[in-house]
Amino acid sequence: MVIDLKRCIGCYGCQLSCKAEHGTPPGVLFARVLKREEGQYPTVRQIFLPVLCNHCEDAPCIDVCPTGASFRWEEDGIVDIDHDKCVGCRACMMGCPYNNRYFNEERLDYFHDAGATPYEEARTMRHQDGVVMKCNFCRDRVRAGKEPACVANCPTVARYFGDLDDPTSEVSRLIKERDGFTLHPEVGTGPAVYYLPQ
Amino acid sequence: MNLIRPGEKQETSPKPSDDVWLPSSCSLCYGTCSILAHRVDGVVVKIEGNPDSAVGKGRLCGKGVSGLMSHYDPHRLKKPLRRTNPDKGIGIDPGWKEISWDEALDEIAGHLRRIHEDDPRKLTVQRTTTVTSGRSPFQSFAAGFGTPNISTAGGGLHCGNGAHLISGIMHASWSIVPDFEYCNYAIYFGASKGHGAGHASCSNMGKAADARAGGMKMVVVDPMCNFASAKATEWVPLRVGTDAALALAMCNVMVNELGVYDAPYLKAKTNAPYLIGPDGLYVRDAETDAPLVWDSAAGQARPFGDADAEDMALEGSFEVQGVACRPAFEILRQHLEQFTPDWAEEISTIPAADVRRLGTEFATEARIGSTIVIDGVTLPYRPAAAIAFRGSQGHMNSVYNLLAIDLLNQLVGSADMVGGCLGFNPACHGHPDTGRPYYVPHPDKDGLMIAGMWMGYLYPYPIHEPALPEKTGLQDLFVLGMTSPFLSSTDAEELWQKFDLPYRPAMLINHGCNLMMSIANKETVAEALKKYEFIVSFDLLLTETSDFVDIVLPDCDYLESVDSRSNFPFIFSLPGGMGEWCWPIRQPVVEPDGEQRRFADVLADLAERAGFGPDYNAALNAGLDLQPPYRLAPDRKYRSEEVCDAELKSKFGDERGYEWFKEHGLIKWPKKPQEVYWRHFEPVRVPIYWEWMPTVRDKMNAITEPRGITMPEEYYRPLPDWLPCASHTCKTDGFDLTAFYYRDSVHTNSYTMENPWLDEAARLDPYSYAIAINAKTGRAKGLTDGQPIALETETGRRVTGRVRLTEAIHPEGVGIAALCGHWSDGMPVAKGKGVFFNDLLELNWDRCSPANINLDLCVRVRVGPAEKTSS
Repeated sequence: MVIDLKRCIGCYGCQLSCKAEHGTPPGVLFARVLKREEGQYPTVRQIFLPVLCNHCEDAPCIDVCPTGASFRWEEDGIVDIDHDKCVGCRACMMGCPYNNRYFNEERLDYFHDAGATPYEEARTMRHQDGVVMKCNFCRDRVRAGKEPACVANCPTVARYFGDLDDPTSEVSRLIKERDGFTLHPEVGTGPAVYYLPQ
Repeated sequence: MNLIRPGEKQETSPKPSDDVWLPSSCSLCYGTCSILAHRVDGVVVKIEGNPDSAVGKGRLCGKGVSGLMSHYDPHRLKKPLRRTNPDKGIGIDPGWKEISWDEALDEIAGHLRRIHEDDPRKLTVQRTTTVTSGRSPFQSFAAGFGTPNISTAGGGLHCGNGAHLISGIMHASWSIVPDFEYCNYAIYFGASKGHGAGHASCSNMGKAADARAGGMKMVVVDPMCNFASAKATEWVPLRVGTDAALALAMCNVMVNELGVYDAPYLKAKTNAPYLIGPDGLYVRDAETDAPLVWDSAAGQARPFGDADAEDMALEGSFEVQGVACRPAFEILRQHLEQFTPDWAEEISTIPAADVRRLGTEFATEARIGSTIVIDGVTLPYRPAAAIAFRGSQGHMNSVYNLLAIDLLNQLVGSADMVGGCLGFNPACHGHPDTGRPYYVPHPDKDGLMIAGMWMGYLYPYPIHEPALPEKTGLQDLFVLGMTSPFLSSTDAEELWQKFDLPYRPAMLINHGCNLMMSIANKETVAEALKKYEFIVSFDLLLTETSDFVDIVLPDCDYLESVDSRSNFPFIFSLPGGMGEWCWPIRQPVVEPDGEQRRFADVLADLAERAGFGPDYNAALNAGLDLQPPYRLAPDRKYRSEEVCDAELKSKFGDERGYEWFKEHGLIKWPKKPQEVYWRHFEPVRVPIYWEWMPTVRDKMNAITEPRGITMPEEYYRPLPDWLPCASHTCKTDGFDLTAFYYRDSVHTNSYTMENPWLDEAARLDPYSYAIAINAKTGRAKGLTDGQPIALETETGRRVTGRVRLTEAIHPEGVGIAALCGHWSDGMPVAKGKGVFFNDLLELNWDRCSPANINLDLCVRVRVGPAEKTSS
């Protein structure tokens, strides 16, 4: 995935379209937007940084998982979690240098004591509790020929999804032409989410 | 491998008996983007943008995708409620009792009949701007009933009182936007077009991103660096409310220092060549009464319609009909000389060198004289735009701020030209099959532009004759005021007495407005609401305003409703620029889960029960411009689907009624350059010199001076100036910062804080629920990031919240997001979150623009730790 920081306006469309797609429980945000200031008044910039699982090439979350629940799909390289194998030990959360995994400790409803909405009953209840959750690049959508929800919905068309192994793909071309970079390359995990500079 | 994952599980589940995607329209803000709603087994499980539509182009903002959590809010009202406690007050339990619809409607109709027999003007109809589908039904209801008192969003004071006026007079549209597709240089004054909620919000987000990625330079003038300014090529921080100072000095640099302006445009498309006499008025032709211009070729003055534009003089002094006169442009040019960059720096804090540079950049980037070919049509190419909205217009100087900013566009000839500053769709030639809807701007007898389409009954130009007020808002006296503070102000009664208002408001019908929070401080609004004998309110939730309501009617939300015109009038929220005309509808995705009813159906029912059904239908016929044979008959009640069907068939032909639209969702057709760049083709001029202003003042003074009020002369001059707000003249020790609020992209234009997904986003956002203060300023006051602080006004109003010390705000500014700080138990998610900025605002004559009665939305405050400041 490639995220163009020049186009992103920090509208939270990705975070919320992800939530709508997956019905994730309160506090679980497969996609998020971070905001940060750079510089000092008046030469200051406000930076919007959308983040999600980096689907690292050398994913420490897979290495540290004691049950094999965290794994990589061979055909597309997507890092995923087998929730039947996950025992909720959260080692992967400690192992992830990007803080993009969430523990779904117990069932919570967004309206608290008022109970689950019909939407939550239809969507959120499918999730298991006591397990770790994270972004899987909307693998079900991708297999159906669609883009991940955050990509398809982005109002500024700031997100691109494609095959990084194909040098002719749009994502590969954008990374090459616009000096795409990954977050914290120094940790050496080989993220598959690239950013294009402001 | 035996994996259970969401995607897999769905495939192995039994096939749902009900699994459809329905095209409809969002309503989380008035942008009203087109959606596809996914319903499975009777439950809405996803809302996405409709890729077929030009409105959003298949993408939605964070609010739009979160709409289903508002829809399924368990606190939504399901049955009509009647109060049992006659005492009304903030936090006083109304003692709600569920009643039947028949009981509710009979009681309301009884009040309507009583008011109608007494004086129909005693009814005020108030509606939210968020639900655009409410406009025609509620306006028609008021018109059919016979009251002129229609108000929006608590007076619309936080909307575009000055912005819509200037956009209407100068661009024949509700708002203005850069022509993103062709613009190279856009300067924003307190606006977020393309970076937040609002008119054509999602469409503009995409267009603005394309423009920025394509190299458009975006300069954002704003006290805070967020949203648009965060994405700007250059952020220009300024003292709150001083936008006109920068704009006027830029105009001066362009005209008097650089000598750069689009003379052919000014001659042909404005009143710049009209001759102005020593009295400040047009010199008119004795025979035809037409304003005269100096025809340089003929060497004499001639009516503007008789001379070739290119021969009209813009400068010089002449003697015509025995009086000395000068072209309006000459007067403007000399007027601008006083606005030096140094003067602007003193007022705005923007360095004079930057003021000069910005003026030079704007003049240069406009490429005056250049042309471009679009769809085979050669057009003027002026890729520089100056736009403005709530930030710059929410002040005492509302009118002049916006006029000064638009002068930039007029001087370089970029108004509604390719790449310039566009009104939203001021001209439409209609669908190719039917020629409808058709509207274009046209000239009045002085050649000045009358908009082809407007949002209300009264168009912004020609300016109306000031008269003794018949409206409680006094807009028939303050003819530049589109909305009014005087429905709720502390001095409303005093003003009504002064102006001999022959009645007092007695009944309020409210649709979706949370008046207690959307106007000013809660105590003042509460007093105004208590004076109504009877209030009925259509609502989704019990709000802070519900404490004052007699009967609450449970409304259907946007996923349960019908609307024939989601994005019409096109001047409001259809994307501007080239592309497609697009007419989407709203259709119900699910049925209500309780006794909620659609407001349009309830209004029809009430009109019938109260005995003015035929008048309501007649008003709908006019308001919706229904053509025969689709006009509503006077003698029957129509359901909203039937009205929708009538309008669609009337606009698009017998075969394209509601059923056709339910399947297709929308109809679209290509825009033509002659429509988008209409100004080049239509024989209309706009006023760079507002000749009528002193006359309007004279006429107002004839009414007001005998009653002890004189309109200040400085607000009624033909040319714009910078005039201070109360916050600029405050000298009280310790009150050294100016608080303002801004529109947060996920928290604007509806009850977003009650939506738990949006609330979650806001809680993670560093600014949404905080009070932003410049870090250096805050540290000098001993504040530390995150500590609870209090803001206090000179009048003793006070709000508290956590401070966010930031580099991204002017040192004198205090920035607060949106409309937070709810206290209603009916909105438990929203309750207690963020800061209620409006509670700082006074609501009276002293805080309003004497020109357009715009409420001043900035306020001088002192800041201190919450525990140390007195309450």
